Amino acid sequence: MISRREGWLLITPLAVFLVLWLGFPFLTDLVYSLSQVGFTTLRQPRLSGFGNYAAVLHDPAFWQAMGFSLRYAVVETVAQVAAGLGLAVGLAPILSRYRSLLALILLPLMIAPALNGLMYRLMLNDFVGIIPIYLGMLDLSPNLLGPGWVFWTVAAIDALQNVPFTLLLALAGLQAIPPELREAARVDGASAWQEFRRVLLPLLVPVLAIAGLVRFIDSFRVFDHIYVLTGGGPGDATTGISLYIYKAFFAQQHLGLAVAASMILLLLSLVLLLALMRRSLHGARA
Amino acid sequence: MSVRLATLIVAVWLTVVAGPARADVTLLFWPGPESNAMQKVIDAFNAGPGKTDGFAVKQLLFSRVGFFDKEMADLAAGSKDFDLCLVTTYTLGRYVPFLAPINAYVSPSARQSYAPVALDSLQANGVLYGVPTDISVHFLYYRTDLIDRLLKDTAWHKEYATLAQAKLGRAMVPKAPADWTWDDFVATSLFFTKTLNHASPVRFGAVLQLKNLIFNVMLWQDTLVADGGNWLDAAGHPAIDSAAAMQAVQTYLTIIQNHATPPGSLNYEFPEANEAFGSGQVATMLQWNAAYAIVNDPKQMPVTAGKVGIAPMPAGPAGHKTHLHSLGIGLNKASEHKDQAGQFLAYLATEPAMQIYAKAGGTPPMPAVLNGLSASHPDFALVGKEAAQDGYVIKGGTATTAMAIYTLLAEKLSAIWGGQVAPNDGLKAAQQGMTTVLKQ
Repeated sequence: MISRREGWLLITPLAVFLVLWLGFPFLTDLVYSLSQVGFTTLRQPRLSGFGNYAAVLHDPAFWQAMGFSLRYAVVETVAQVAAGLGLAVGLAPILSRYRSLLALILLPLMIAPALNGLMYRLMLNDFVGIIPIYLGMLDLSPNLLGPGWVFWTVAAIDALQNVPFTLLLALAGLQAIPPELREAARVDGASAWQEFRRVLLPLLVPVLAIAGLVRFIDSFRVFDHIYVLTGGGPGDATTGISLYIYKAFFAQQHLGLAVAASMILLLLSLVLLLALMRRSLHGARA
Repeated sequence: MSVRLATLIVAVWLTVVAGPARADVTLLFWPGPESNAMQKVIDAFNAGPGKTDGFAVKQLLFSRVGFFDKEMADLAAGSKDFDLCLVTTYTLGRYVPFLAPINAYVSPSARQSYAPVALDSLQANGVLYGVPTDISVHFLYYRTDLIDRLLKDTAWHKEYATLAQAKLGRAMVPKAPADWTWDDFVATSLFFTKTLNHASPVRFGAVLQLKNLIFNVMLWQDTLVADGGNWLDAAGHPAIDSAAAMQAVQTYLTIIQNHATPPGSLNYEFPEANEAFGSGQVATMLQWNAAYAIVNDPKQMPVTAGKVGIAPMPAGPAGHKTHLHSLGIGLNKASEHKDQAGQFLAYLATEPAMQIYAKAGGTPPMPAVLNGLSASHPDFALVGKEAAQDGYVIKGGTATTAMAIYTLLAEKLSAIWGGQVAPNDGLKAAQQGMTTVLKQ
């Protein structure tokens, strides 16, 4: 048993590290978000109150980007958790027998999202891309990066890369369920669906909530593969909040505005995170 | 013992005191053909004038992805890790506060070797901030086999005239690409589109690059300027919702709406357009001069190699016009080795240095150098001619706001091409956005 003093001593290095590496940038960001600042005045920001926050909140492009990010995150979370769970349940018997298969399934997670975007740029190319060639065999020629399809295309690319993550968590959750519970359900005459719906799913909720939370946060701040594939277009059809902030900062050089948008995003994320954490922890305890 | 001590003192003295006398100059650059060519120039300098003066130049390469954002951040932070850096026409305005003027290092005689527009493209308020090393202009690329037949085949003439009458409202006659107007370009694009003319040997008449990307705005604005438009009017106010801009938008839209460009064009940029043209399924392409070496290379594009023609961009009422920008080398204001860096800049601005650069793959904006190599590089003569004759720098294209305006136009035009907004509304939104950017 360590004393309270020893506890403080042990936590001090980490606390100092966090204050230095997170506290200083946070304070700088806070000052910038309340200032008129550009690349030439990085060291002399002029405080200007909440003007940047007001400008962000009155910018239709900000809300358009927020709308995209929210829709994207919801679609990705639902799709990836559902697909991960389905695959985990379906593949569990095979994966328990051939464990090395799991390594193969996890391979997409090793690819950098920007590289993934580049790969799909090639795969979706009208002339050399494998996807248009196969679609052409079926007499289909949809413009998968055109306005009508682009949202679903970038979402599918993301899902294909990240479903292995939710699969992994769901599989771990499944393996942690005592086999006696499933056997008892079967002895009581439960069908396969009833066993899944009444026994497995309730026990998997905490794991799925964590998987969903991680994927929601990651999807909400999506940037890399969209930037590479569409640059946020056509028009602003795939401009999410991260791309909005990036363009405001570097292209338009509205540093204060970009940082204010980041702070709003941070605040919203914190609220969401706390709510979801509370709910998932509550679920876990229940 | 005393000998050992003396040796140690001498060694320390040589390291600490004598060491810094050899101040290496660092050039922040991006990897690729430009840095490969630049290395040859640097090698020649280091073996010659650099050796004599006791210093060397070396390159520091950042990845090309997001290069200018990283460079901007480092310059703004006052980094002393590099002395020279890559500057371009379109980023110059943003960089000027962090660059030192280099007028003193580029002599009047050296300036005479350059195409004047190239020097203009790296100046702000009459002050030179970069030694131009590469020039980029646009060409009209076409398949010589297809166009030769179009000019000779009378049956094709008849079909060409019929299609032009149906789609553009007047019968037209095929012309040689060097004489094309934008209407000729559109008519030819429609003629070679399989869905409109089943006899076309290729699927698409043209390939446009329409991605939400600043470089695609540069290509489109050749149409704008040829039609008499510009970003700004004579008084410096935004003029992007002008009649000329609407005409330029309509030119592109006619091609898009008639499916004369591949469906994926909405997200095409430089490599995708080259792939499309190189596939042999496209008759014409509006593209940067750098593409010539790619689409005419038998190893990279065996289908089109040897069948690639180049001509000036099609003409409008204001004549043939091509956007022009330069890449060049600027001097970091925070550099601690300005004198040595300046010596290298002075060397770089000479014809012999640029000859080395051109032979190694660069495209320096020195007409004499380009013409001298035109036997081995057939595209160089046209680059020199376009730079001297049809090249323009868009009004406001070197200002601090240039990148913000390019980014804005990229988004608004991309929305028009995708059919998300009507052309009028898109141009009005662009006008409004430009007004806001210029006010800020």
